[in-house]
Amino acid sequence: MESVRRKDVPVVTVLDPKFKYEVAREPGGENIKYCFQCGTCTSGCKVAELDSKYNPRKIIRMVILGMRERVLSGDFIWLCATCYTCHERCPQDVRIPEVMNALKNIAVREGYIHPAFRAQAELIAGHGRLYEVDGFANEKRTDWGLTEIPQGCPEVAEIYGITGLHDLLSGGAGGKV
Amino acid sequence: MLQDTGKEPRIGVYVCHCGLNIAGVVDVEAVRESARFLEGVVVVRDNRYTCSEVGQKGIADDIREFKLNRVVVASCSPRLHEKTFRTLLEKSGLNPHLLEMANIREHCSWVHYDNHEAATGKAKDLVRSSVARARLLQPLARTKGRVLPEVMVIGGGVAGISAALYLGGMGIKTYLVEKEPSIGGHMAMLDKTFPTLDCSLCILSPKMVEVAECENIKILSYSEVEKVEGQVGDFRVQVRRKPRYVNEEKCVGCGDCAEKCPVKVKDEFNRNMGTRKAIYIPFPQAIPPAYVIDEHNCRYLTQGKCKICQAVCERGAIEYDQTSYVETIEVGAIIVATGFQPYDPRGLPQYGYGRFPNVITSLDFERLICADGPTYGKLKRPGDSTVPKRVAFIQCVGSRNEASGGAEYKIDIDEEMGSSAGSRDPKAYCSRVCCMITAKQAFMVKEKYPDAEVYVYYIDMRTAGKGFEEFYQRGRHEGIVFLRGKPGEIEEQEDGCLRVVSEDLDSGCILDLVFDMVVLAQGLTPPEGLVEFAQKMNLSRSEDGFLMEGHPKLRPAETAIDGIYLAGCVQFPKDIPDSVAQAGAAAAAAAVMCSKESIEIDPLGPVIDDKLCIGCKLCEMLCPYGAIKVELTDKGPKAKSIEVACKGCGVCGASCSTKAITMKHYTDSQLTAQAKAILEVV
Amino acid sequence: MKMAVFLGCTVPVRNLSYELSAKRVAGELGLELVDIPDFSCCGYPVKSVHHETAYLLAARNLALAEERGLDICTLCSACTSVLTEVSRELATNEILLDETCKSLGMLGRQYSGKVKVKHFVRVLYEDIGLGTIEKAVKRPLDMFRIASHYGCHYLKPSKIYDGFDHPEAPESLDRLVAATGAFPVDYRTKKDCCGGAILGVDEETALSMARAKLDDISNRGADAINLICPFCSVMYGANQRKIGAGLNVKYDLPILYYPQILGLAMGISHEELGLMQNPIRPRALIAKIS
Repeated sequence: MESVRRKDVPVVTVLDPKFKYEVAREPGGENIKYCFQCGTCTSGCKVAELDSKYNPRKIIRMVILGMRERVLSGDFIWLCATCYTCHERCPQDVRIPEVMNALKNIAVREGYIHPAFRAQAELIAGHGRLYEVDGFANEKRTDWGLTEIPQGCPEVAEIYGITGLHDLLSGGAGGKV
Repeated sequence: MLQDTGKEPRIGVYVCHCGLNIAGVVDVEAVRESARFLEGVVVVRDNRYTCSEVGQKGIADDIREFKLNRVVVASCSPRLHEKTFRTLLEKSGLNPHLLEMANIREHCSWVHYDNHEAATGKAKDLVRSSVARARLLQPLARTKGRVLPEVMVIGGGVAGISAALYLGGMGIKTYLVEKEPSIGGHMAMLDKTFPTLDCSLCILSPKMVEVAECENIKILSYSEVEKVEGQVGDFRVQVRRKPRYVNEEKCVGCGDCAEKCPVKVKDEFNRNMGTRKAIYIPFPQAIPPAYVIDEHNCRYLTQGKCKICQAVCERGAIEYDQTSYVETIEVGAIIVATGFQPYDPRGLPQYGYGRFPNVITSLDFERLICADGPTYGKLKRPGDSTVPKRVAFIQCVGSRNEASGGAEYKIDIDEEMGSSAGSRDPKAYCSRVCCMITAKQAFMVKEKYPDAEVYVYYIDMRTAGKGFEEFYQRGRHEGIVFLRGKPGEIEEQEDGCLRVVSEDLDSGCILDLVFDMVVLAQGLTPPEGLVEFAQKMNLSRSEDGFLMEGHPKLRPAETAIDGIYLAGCVQFPKDIPDSVAQAGAAAAAAAVMCSKESIEIDPLGPVIDDKLCIGCKLCEMLCPYGAIKVELTDKGPKAKSIEVACKGCGVCGASCSTKAITMKHYTDSQLTAQAKAILEVV
Repeated sequence: MKMAVFLGCTVPVRNLSYELSAKRVAGELGLELVDIPDFSCCGYPVKSVHHETAYLLAARNLALAEERGLDICTLCSACTSVLTEVSRELATNEILLDETCKSLGMLGRQYSGKVKVKHFVRVLYEDIGLGTIEKAVKRPLDMFRIASHYGCHYLKPSKIYDGFDHPEAPESLDRLVAATGAFPVDYRTKKDCCGGAILGVDEETALSMARAKLDDISNRGADAINLICPFCSVMYGANQRKIGAGLNVKYDLPILYYPQILGLAMGISHEELGLMQNPIRPRALIAKIS
């Protein structure tokens, strides 16, 4: 029988106990299980101060509890400004920005990527840089007495191929994004 | 006698299951079988518990039946049961040094719990190497050592005072060594104690007076231990007596000298918040109740002129010509009670201690609220001497902190924080007392200033102790607000007030609050110089930096060195009742030791072959205990061991270039055989 | 002293005056900056998407510097962080170095872990030294109040930066500003982040973060912000008007790159330092100095 629940109470009945280990296996996620929920991270977080969607302590809590889908599909994990203030202060050395990176890396593999990050990754694959250095730009550089910069860098695309990021982004070879 | 080392070794090997401690990981039967055909082995067995009555009887029976002359026990650390099995050998007519233990629990099953196969392999290796060494073991004669019925207590805080009083009360002559001019330690600096709110000095000073009056206790104040030699029952301790420049016997503490002294300096007892004179008494109830001249600031001692104090002292107690000297004291046992030093929050600059005057520590708070403190008990914030109306406390400053970014910063902020500044490196452990200290101090603010707003930021409140939870409840009832959530930073505003942002975990809000004063609940860290002190005493420290107890459960007041005991915070942070209780335990253990007429001493140490010794002095230079000296003999310079000073560390034996030195019970051939066997590919 | 200068993505296209002034000042101070045209993106922007790719991009850049036997001098703080992190990892983690070399091998490159990375300003602070800088000053800027924005990755995570400055109480930029004779302005939000990293995710929050600092610095009466990162420059320069427009406020806070400040103090003309090419043209400032 369904129990009676109030609408505004988030009730979680299924947790994934393996999620915390999964995150701990990612580079940067190693120390996540040390978190004792002191709130030091959130207290100094400028993003959290402005946007209630982002609360690093709560995100870590959700990971430890095993709310896998909710975390990976949430847009909040993309809100970390990687300022490393919390990283410096965390008394348990949880390295929160690196944990966020670990979560984003998993999310990407699961098919969730923030459009802004996808766009950046694709630009870099295409030009070797975030911004294309076109003829106009190089002309300006030469005018200023600065060296010309080659347009594009094919090795970057090769790197995407080697690491599998190319497949991930194009949705081929098991890539879901 | 059954033992005869001339005969072929007849070894019995006993592999212990230790319930499932070993057998749960190591295949004990396989280890047993691996030893069956090793050279010299006559009998192999495995036992559920080798240390049990049944296990021991089995070994005793085998010694008789199989005429064993060596015994190898593969079980736990020798620190636990070596004594048990040595006694068993002795009772069975074997020299106790014919026992060899292989540690297949701490060194094997416990650390390799996740790899049964490798652990079993390692256990086999350890047993094989123990058998190899056992074949070469020699019987050694123990010597009898004298036991001096006197004890030294190092450290005159509440733990040292309590230990000395217990010992003195038992009629045992006790030396109480204190590096400061007065005994009393940190407890003398506290205003009140939790959870009863007793005035700290009101309960401590009667004990201090008792110490002074006890005829069995001699206080060596303003003194530090420089060197310890000898062993249990017979220690020789060199104590550096610093000059007070005031004759302790003559001084009656009238204070005329200080009144006239023209030099004012910061008062370290008041955490540098007040001033004292260059001739001073740390606090009115000081024991011994004698003044002391601070030689770094005394005008006469630094510039050669003044002598005002000498002129005004009617009893002629001022003695500028006193010098420091070393006194050697012989005792049978030593209790180490050198306490702690508070964490120095300058290691966490985000809290601004040392930069923002109105951010203080818990110990600063004690002085600020104490009637004898720099403000005569009126809580005034150091920045502008106003009474704070909004006070915040932040818990776990320097405690429960694995790493803060992990970097070693090159930073210097206001070096003038006084002698009680402690370690700046945050500590991983919980300092145990800060929750209650904070609850007490928050309560005291409310008690003195009922209108004050008092907030306590915490991670977890730990109030396990008699009357503690009730006190915490009382604090909440008084209106103290406890906030779960640690602030990351303190910002100073232009008016000296402090802005604290935190996440209030319970309401889910970000709290952005301003306070007049913030008190940092500093953790407790090992006392200054403990590393060097531990080296001098040959004591081990635990990972947290404090001195290691003999056994974490069963020998909490002992150390790994016989005859040296621990009391108080030098072992780990603890509150006053726990310090006193441990002092009692240490005193009892020391008294048991000192009640013996003599003790048997393990015959460890070097045997020097004069024919090989070339008198090169390498051993003398390397010995950390000054226990080996090269003397001129009729055959030229030869090394001589000073047995009483030797601790058997083996440095001389390992370093001797001509192999003239052999360590008893750890001979080169024994160790080489052991090493070869463990590296053997089976 | 000779180093490879790592320009990153933004500087060579959008912050030419930063590059120009850095190279100009470096030359004067005996620091030879060598361009390596094959450098790509440092890897930082893809770290949160694909860790391995970010590491390999960084490793390739390190390998290019190693081929020429040079350490790297960076102009962007984000590049500094990822290149430093990866260079330190590869110098100490043999397994990772092995794996990385296998991948680099596919590109026909190799790396042995020797390259060290430092931000341009850290090179000035640590290697050139405040003493030399003070001596090079010919025109002290004592008429200016300058607020330094440290940003994040110049100092943090501190464990990869050997503690050369303290992220909780930083002083290197203020001391460098003071060395030019200008008055270093202290302000409450000094350590805060510009918000640049989330501009594409939540523009409102990112701009609010930048705004908090713009307000604070303006209120302290600063003549300019001292910047050392093109990422931050996007927030305070390119977006300054946008932030103001949303609030009906007109900010007029010039941004200067540290080598421009130093260059001015060394007596180099504002044209040679590209001051008028900055996102906010510091007209008043130039007028004041000449």
